[in-house]
Amino acid sequence: MLTRCISAESRKLCHSMILPACLLIPIIPAIMGTFNYLQNQGILESEWYSLWTQNTLFYACFFFAPLIGLYCSYLWRLEHRHNNWNMIMTAPVPVSCLFFAKLAVILAITLLTQIWMGALYLICGKLVGLPGFCPPEIILWLLRGLLGAVPICSLQLLLSMKIRSFSVPIGIALIGSVTGMLIINNDMGLIWPYSLMLLGMNSNKTEDSLAGGLLPFLVSAAVFSLIFCGLSIWFLKHRDVNA
Amino acid sequence: MGPVIATESLTKKYKEKVVVDQLDLRVPGGSIYGFLGPNGAGKSTTLKMLLGLVKPTAGNITILGKEVSSKNRLTILSSTGSLIESPAYYGHLSGKENLQIICTLKNLPETEIPRVLQIVRMKDQQNKKVSQYSLGMKQRLGLAAALLGNPKILLLDEPTNGLDPAGIQEMRELISSLPRTFGITVLISSHLLSEIDQMATHVGIINQGELVFQDSLSALHEHSRSRLLLRTSDDQRSFSYLKHSGLPAEWKNGSLSLRTLEDNRIMQAVSLLVNSGIGVLRLEEQQMSLEDIFLHLTGKQVSL
Repeated sequence: MLTRCISAESRKLCHSMILPACLLIPIIPAIMGTFNYLQNQGILESEWYSLWTQNTLFYACFFFAPLIGLYCSYLWRLEHRHNNWNMIMTAPVPVSCLFFAKLAVILAITLLTQIWMGALYLICGKLVGLPGFCPPEIILWLLRGLLGAVPICSLQLLLSMKIRSFSVPIGIALIGSVTGMLIINNDMGLIWPYSLMLLGMNSNKTEDSLAGGLLPFLVSAAVFSLIFCGLSIWFLKHRDVNA
Repeated sequence: MGPVIATESLTKKYKEKVVVDQLDLRVPGGSIYGFLGPNGAGKSTTLKMLLGLVKPTAGNITILGKEVSSKNRLTILSSTGSLIESPAYYGHLSGKENLQIICTLKNLPETEIPRVLQIVRMKDQQNKKVSQYSLGMKQRLGLAAALLGNPKILLLDEPTNGLDPAGIQEMRELISSLPRTFGITVLISSHLLSEIDQMATHVGIINQGELVFQDSLSALHEHSRSRLLLRTSDDQRSFSYLKHSGLPAEWKNGSLSLRTLEDNRIMQAVSLLVNSGIGVLRLEEQQMSLEDIFLHLTGKQVSL
């Protein structure tokens, strides 16, 4: 059932604007970050690590969560328009499969975004003339960023499902991730869903911000994801459909 | 055949407003059931409750012998096709791609697509983006989607809304052919009496959430009691004579009529009048139209 739903969801994205958005938008923080790095080379002396702090500063704080919000809003807008709520809710599939199929598609695009962000980081590093190859733990940080993005994906799917506006959930994501940065600076990152991705990505830090252990991070991400998925499926099951 | 859709005291309240009030629908198998009522009478809400899109406040629903519940939801939905409100579609995809998505969700082979496109005569437009379709084409695509997998029951909510006369005619012929060609039971809602009159075998009339009539179409026609219109040289005197001798005479809007078509009573009435020295000028049979019955049952002006 779930595989059928996933294949239906991915068909809906043919000829859509999701892929261009996924390719074009991450270029902006990469350029901003690299420019910032070049301007402040005097104090940024750790080469690849320094470039990472600058790139992720913009990418993770201002772009990543709103970008996920954009994907989710787009995916739900397809159903909000032209009565498609009636169609999906009368399809003979469990509502949980409908939701998890959307989550799977969003995670796949998010993974693509992360890979592309990593590639851009490498390209920028080479363009500014950094020697050798980037430190290997960067790849781990990108993957951890993806894990930290799971609760954001489920929360944004929930928001875009209930809020019919396209831009309001994206605005919430922006506020959420900026607040996330402030919360991390107060060492409370694990209790705010938007902070988890920043922690995982090691955004704007050269030393590992999760050096204390991965477990609390994973537990927090899992708990938040479960809450948001559970809420979404509860709404789908128990609320009247309003096409 | 017994009813394939049956509801018992089906009720929906939004806050304090009762939208559907203790509905007992009986839709016989193989019928085209016309669900008739003025705008806002609760037709769409009822159809949405049958599909589980709207949760009833009280009462229960049985479809194909199974109670509508979260346990039976998938079984019922896989033998049901529906077109609720206006047709659902993804505008950036072609008609064929839209049907492919539904086939995937319903777990049907894609060989179903040419079959349903053939039925709704849409083969030539299947590769065009749906956003470029006319309303009539979207409506036909919606019907094609509902027919995927040859469902046992088809629920159609105002399927001719917004179509031009040719489109309405075509849709009507298509729907009429479904029970005999594919054995599908059709429940179709409409606010147009004439439309239901031309398609349906059974009729349910809903007004302000209450079912005011439910029977076969021919039973509804029997309701159209005929009257005999009388013109005499002195209508007023005739009326009092007829009334006096116990004949069912009526005096309404300045015209005289007899609420019977029995030969004996007519003979009796005419000879009574002639013997009293009143000239009988006209005898005219008048049938109550379905519009009159509708008005009578709902107490509302029917929209045509």
